Amino acid sequence: MQLTQKKRRRGDLLTAAAVAMLLAVMAALLYTGSLTRQVTNMLIPTAVYIVMAVSLNLVVGLLGELSLGHAGFMSVGLFSGCLVAIALTNTALPLAVRLPVSMLAGGLTAAVFGLLVGLPTLRLRGDYLAIVTLACGEIIKNIITNLRVTGGALGLNTAAIYAGAKELLPYGAALVLLTVAVMLNLKRSKYGRAIMAIRDNRIAAESVGLNVTRYKLAVFVIAAFFAGCAGVLYGHSLANIKAAAFDYNMSIEILVIVVLGGMGSVPGSVVSAIVLTVLPEALREVADYRMLVYAVVLILVMQATNNPTMKRFFGSACKSLTPVRKERAAL
Amino acid sequence: MKKRVFAMLMAVVMAFSLMACGNKADNGGSGGTADAAETIKLGVVGPLTGGYANYGLSVQHGAELAVKEINAAGGVNGKQLELSAQDSQGDPESAVAAYGKLMDWGMNVFLGGVLSGETASVVAAAKADDMFIMETTGSADKCIDGNDKAFRICFYDSYQGTAAANYLKDNALADEVGVLYQSDNDYSAGLYNAFVAECEKTGVTIKETQTFTAATATDFSTQVNALVNSGVKVVFIPIYAEEASTFLTQAKGKFAEDVYFFGGDGLDGILGKVSQDVTIADNVLMMTPFAADSTDPKVQAFVKAYEEAYGATPDQFAADAYDAVYTVKAAVEAAGGSTSGADLAAAMTSLTVEGVTGTMTWNADGNTNKAASAILYKNGVGTLFGQNAAENTDAAA
Amino acid sequence: MTNLIQTLISGLSLGSIYALIALGYTMVYGIAKMLNFAHGDVIMVGAYSGIVAVAQMGLSPWVTVIVSIAVCAVLGVVIEFCAYKPLRQAAPLSVLITAIGVSYLLQNAALLLFGSQQMAYPTLLKLPMLTVGGVQIDGITLLTLAVTAALMAALTLFIDRTKLGKAMRAVSEDKGAATLMGINVDRTITLTFAIGSALAAFASMFYGMTYVYIKPTTGAMPGIKAFTAAVFGGIGSIPGAMIGGILLGLIEQMSKTYISTLWADAIVFAVLVVVLVVKPTGLLGKPMQEKV
Repeated sequence: MQLTQKKRRRGDLLTAAAVAMLLAVMAALLYTGSLTRQVTNMLIPTAVYIVMAVSLNLVVGLLGELSLGHAGFMSVGLFSGCLVAIALTNTALPLAVRLPVSMLAGGLTAAVFGLLVGLPTLRLRGDYLAIVTLACGEIIKNIITNLRVTGGALGLNTAAIYAGAKELLPYGAALVLLTVAVMLNLKRSKYGRAIMAIRDNRIAAESVGLNVTRYKLAVFVIAAFFAGCAGVLYGHSLANIKAAAFDYNMSIEILVIVVLGGMGSVPGSVVSAIVLTVLPEALREVADYRMLVYAVVLILVMQATNNPTMKRFFGSACKSLTPVRKERAAL
Repeated sequence: MKKRVFAMLMAVVMAFSLMACGNKADNGGSGGTADAAETIKLGVVGPLTGGYANYGLSVQHGAELAVKEINAAGGVNGKQLELSAQDSQGDPESAVAAYGKLMDWGMNVFLGGVLSGETASVVAAAKADDMFIMETTGSADKCIDGNDKAFRICFYDSYQGTAAANYLKDNALADEVGVLYQSDNDYSAGLYNAFVAECEKTGVTIKETQTFTAATATDFSTQVNALVNSGVKVVFIPIYAEEASTFLTQAKGKFAEDVYFFGGDGLDGILGKVSQDVTIADNVLMMTPFAADSTDPKVQAFVKAYEEAYGATPDQFAADAYDAVYTVKAAVEAAGGSTSGADLAAAMTSLTVEGVTGTMTWNADGNTNKAASAILYKNGVGTLFGQNAAENTDAAA
Repeated sequence: MTNLIQTLISGLSLGSIYALIALGYTMVYGIAKMLNFAHGDVIMVGAYSGIVAVAQMGLSPWVTVIVSIAVCAVLGVVIEFCAYKPLRQAAPLSVLITAIGVSYLLQNAALLLFGSQQMAYPTLLKLPMLTVGGVQIDGITLLTLAVTAALMAALTLFIDRTKLGKAMRAVSEDKGAATLMGINVDRTITLTFAIGSALAAFASMFYGMTYVYIKPTTGAMPGIKAFTAAVFGGIGSIPGAMIGGILLGLIEQMSKTYISTLWADAIVFAVLVVVLVVKPTGLLGKPMQEKV
């Protein structure tokens, strides 16, 4: 037990170090002008998707519940944070103050919505919970689209706070590292274990005295917070944002990233997010078939990780993609 | 061990994808000055796949046709044109990445985005590069706002909305109208807002306003009932042909015989959408600068060439793209062969271009002045109707 | 007053389609205990098969009906065999994600085959517009309601009275015990999917005749709303699906008319959330006991 713990700690440090190194390398390439335009324009969206995937992994991988409304949290954070940022442009504050403040504002607003969405899900599980989160995501989208203050149906004009990758990368990098660090720590902490216990057997967890309500809500709140922060960053990289873009289709895209990276695996989510953001750009020529291929790959991966015969077929390359719940046998 | 192999494999895939994203461009990304190369590179971003692909493909085809014709006639100042259309699926984030790819390719002149949403973002990105932008179809006002090197071929939304209101007044069609617009669509909402403002000035009352969103564009029974019950003789429908086709199909037989459905250039292509029963489009009045069945020889030639090349009648989007390329040609020639943003922008304000969408001149704010006429559809045939619109309208921003 | 009646009628029209789609959902969920997220897209495939049958193959309406039903049923069985069956033992989460994958697969395959432009569904039946007391009712609405009711009755009879139906009920209660009783669980579930998908074919026909225009993304939103209706009425309950569908259609149209077209969607989804929070088993559903 001690040995596995040590091994896991080392694995965590490796992950964090790898992510930090990757960010440092990208930063170096960016600031020395050695990156192509296309890659430069992809840096911030990639960072955003990494944070979204890692935060969704908390709900899907650790808590074991399917949340199809994650894009809704991103959108809430985006709009509230960007509104704050736009308001702050009138003051003389530098970007270094404005951006973190608006990210915090966005994250906190999203966290509140995480609580609001988490509440109805307390009594629900599995399919029903998934559909409720989908419904909540759509409700959020509808509300934001109808609000005057967020620009209404035509979207929010963020030209005032528009910034390129060079200015936004430090903040993106910081957010990615923070999210990764928090997730890794949470997984190993007693809170993480409690959450995983709830995932594996809710009734047993309750009978041991775990407050399921508290943990479920905490998971939604934390995941929503990071999604909100990511949203604010995303908002700064575009000149016009419409709430309609953050629908269940986007939530499903993030879910695909999480599933392909391995549920519960933080490094998996990071790698998967990078690959799935970069690959479409690299495959521009075959864009017609891209979504089709994604769908097929998703189905195959689910088969591979769950079906005994397929598992043997794909061998232990799948080990890293197997849902974490199987690992409990090792304990 | 296997886990590590797998991780290495993923890392290799990542690295490969990054490399496959194009080689580093030679130019430093400023202005796109015409180098000693023999071509002028034009780039456009739009949805070439996905749910909005028909718009992006129209723009691509229209531009391609123009490029082919110009190259066959000797090019621009002796240089051949090269066009690259990049897919954005209508998503602003993808559009910005696509723009990056075009810059890496060495684009000299940018034809902008197709949908208003993505255009705003790419124009913001292009501003930093001092790139000259000849926007084809992004019609929301804000698309080229604040960018002195961005010009536009299509009408901008508030212009069209205002022109529509004036057209109503000038042709004494009705004192009371109903409206159906799509609240989450830039074009529709933009036209609507301008229409409302101008109606207040001209004294036309809007008796009934109904809305819908992209998500609710399948069932219009509520909207139809409300508009029928209001008894208005003209319904203003500043929406796109596809949604209009659904609405009109459900409205058929419910409105009185003499009710007009009055819309903007977004209705272009309506006949094709209701091909199973063209009488669905009866009494549709479309205000447009481009009509594929116009008798103008220039338009006829364009339509014929487009149909031969692509097997379909060109729509507004294709016509705008076609004109955009020809305008770029005129601007480059007027600027003495230079493709720098500043030179082209300076040349634009003194240009007059006779395109398939009309005779165009430009203001310093980038917007174009051209006339629009109204087409009335009956039994699948469109005929000119009433006095020309947009001639009495001030070119207010 | 006329306005109210008109709204109620349009609510019935919309609701009847939801009810028909919900029947298929509830059937599959009740017996196989899985949410077939791809149900809406099977409907879309059914609609396209109808279009292809008439436009390109020139088949007569009745043959088209049979072709649609056959195509959908086969599709349902194939999906079940390839995607869901291997995951019988897996966590419901995995199955749901697979269903999402299947849904996307169908949508994108249709996008590649038919393009993103809308296509018009053929008019299989020309029904007159009836005028009752100054209000117009579309003949199609009445037919949809009639057919949905008939199908509901037929399904209930099938499940309650026939041997196969009994097998389905057994499988839905306890798969293990059903196997012990000599029931071929695999075949039963396959049959369930076949019937559920055949129901989707009916839904596609009436959707096509009511709303005319079909795109690859046509099935997604009605699918979700119909699922809402099924949950509303009590998932697993066949009469519940019908009642839930009609009620939801009425709520949606009333919201559009009396509140605002802008908020209609939010209200529909809010209904779902409220129902699931207050009475998770829906109006007519049976409470589920949790075993420790």
